[in-house]
Amino acid sequence: MAKRWLEAIAFWGLLALLWEFGVGWLGVRRYLLPPFSDVLIAGWNAREPLLSNTWVTTVEVLVGFVAAVVGGVLLGVLIHISAFARRTLYPLITALQSMPKIALAPLMIVWFGYGFASKVAATFLFAFFPIVIATLGGMQNVAINLDEHFRALGASRWDFFWRLQVPAALPAFVDGVKVAMPLAVIGAIVGEFIGAEEGLGHLMTMATANGQTDLMFAAILVITALAVALYAVVERLARAVWWRGISF
Amino acid sequence: MSEQNKPAIAVKNVLKTFAGKHEVKALEAVDLTIAPHEFVSILGPSGCGKSTLLRIVAGLTPYEGGEVLVNQKRVAGPSPEIGVVFQSSNMLPWLTVGQNLALGAKLRKIPEDQAAPKIAQLTEMLGLKGFENNHPHQLSGGMRQRAAIGQILALDPQILLMDEPFGALDALTRDKLNVELLRIWQEQRQTVLLVTHSIAEAVFLSDRVLVMSGRPGRVVREVTIDLPRPRMPETIKQDPRYGEYISELSKLMGVY
Repeated sequence: MAKRWLEAIAFWGLLALLWEFGVGWLGVRRYLLPPFSDVLIAGWNAREPLLSNTWVTTVEVLVGFVAAVVGGVLLGVLIHISAFARRTLYPLITALQSMPKIALAPLMIVWFGYGFASKVAATFLFAFFPIVIATLGGMQNVAINLDEHFRALGASRWDFFWRLQVPAALPAFVDGVKVAMPLAVIGAIVGEFIGAEEGLGHLMTMATANGQTDLMFAAILVITALAVALYAVVERLARAVWWRGISF
Repeated sequence: MSEQNKPAIAVKNVLKTFAGKHEVKALEAVDLTIAPHEFVSILGPSGCGKSTLLRIVAGLTPYEGGEVLVNQKRVAGPSPEIGVVFQSSNMLPWLTVGQNLALGAKLRKIPEDQAAPKIAQLTEMLGLKGFENNHPHQLSGGMRQRAAIGQILALDPQILLMDEPFGALDALTRDKLNVELLRIWQEQRQTVLLVTHSIAEAVFLSDRVLVMSGRPGRVVREVTIDLPRPRMPETIKQDPRYGEYISELSKLMGVY
C-alpha cells in the first residue's frame, strides 16, 4: 500500500518538476506555458473566484448528469420493452447521437439563455446517449439459459423485468455511467465557453482574454480535479455491482 | 398397472425441425410414454435431439407434428406441474443461495408460508445449511447444482424433467449427487424424465432407459432396468445384472 502511494507521488512529482524546469530549458514563453509554480501561485491568488466558480460548475454537472441518468434509463427501458419505441425512437436516438454535441451547445444558449438552465441542458446532451445505449444493451444481454429458466418457472413479465433483466443490466449500465460522468463535465464546460456569466469554463475564457495563461492553467487543473473526483465517486458506487461476468 | 392407461407423459409421433438456412430435422416420429412415479432416462449421442425433446415436454419449445400430453393435457407452455433442472445451475449471481432457493417458489407465486418450511427442509437435506447467506460463486459446482435441484424441488413438482443435471460436474461429485437424487426420489416418487450422457447414471437411477438414434432423433430401443430398490451404489454394483445392463447399453450406444 505504502509502495503504491510512493510510486504515485514520485510519478506526479516528476511530471510537475519536468513541467517546472522543462519550460525554462526549452525557452517556452510564459504566455504560452507558464512554469508549474506560476500556475499554483495564480491559482492560490485567485482561490476565491476559483472556488465559487467550481461550485457553480459542480451543481450544473450534477443536475445535468442526474437528469441524463434518469432520462437515459427511462428511454433505454422504454425502447427495450416497447417494440414500437424500438422501431421509432431507437433510430431517432441513433441519429441524434451521431450529431456533434458541441455543434448543438450554442443552440442550448439560444433556447435556455445564458444562465444555469443552458449549462444543465448541455451537460444532459453530452451524458444522455451513453446512458441510453448502456441501459438498452444491458437489458438485452440476459444469458439465454437464465431466460429459459425463468420461462420454465412461469415468471411474469414483471418478474422477468425486475428480478432478471434489471440486475443483469446493471454491470453494462454502470459502465455507461462511467463513460457519461466525464462527458457531463465536458458538457458543462462547453456550455460555459459559449456563453455564461459564471463557472470554471467562463473563468477560463476570461483568463484567456486577459492574457492570464497561468490562471487559465489553474482553471484547467481544477476542472480536471473536479472530473477525476466525480469519476472516483461513480467508480466507488459502481462497486456495488460486483456480479460482472459471473454465470453458472 | 392400471396407471399405464393414464400416463404422466405421452409423446406421440412428435416432429421437430429447426428452420434456417440449413433446415435441421431434430426429431422424427418420437414416441414415448412415462407412467406416474416412473423414473425414465433418455440416452443418446450428442446432437440427437434429446434435450430438444425434454424442452418440448417442458413446454419451452414448440413442435410441429404429433402430440405431447402431460397428465392427459396437451402441452401448450410451461406448466406448474413440471419442474425443470438444467445442466447449468441457473443460480442468479446477485442473489444469495437462500434467495436463489426461494426464487422458484416466488416466481410460481407459491405462498411464502407454504414454501418456507419446504425450503428449510431441502436446505438441510441437500447439505446447504450454513451457506444460505453466501453467494453462488462462493460455492463449488456440485453445491450449486444441489441448490438448483433444491430450488425446483421446493416447487413440489409432480413431474421432474432433468437435462444433464450433473453433466458439468466431476465424476465423484456426480456419483454422490446421483445417490442423493435417488434418496429424495425414493421418498417423493416424482415422475422423472432424465436426459443424460452417462450410461452408468442411467442404469443406476432408472426404471427404464430409452435409447435415441443420431439425428434426426428417434427412440430406437427401450431397456427396462429390473434392479431392486432402494438402490445403493455399494449393493447395486455387485448385482451381476447391473454389469449386463451397462454392457447392453454400451453396445446400443456404439461404445463397443
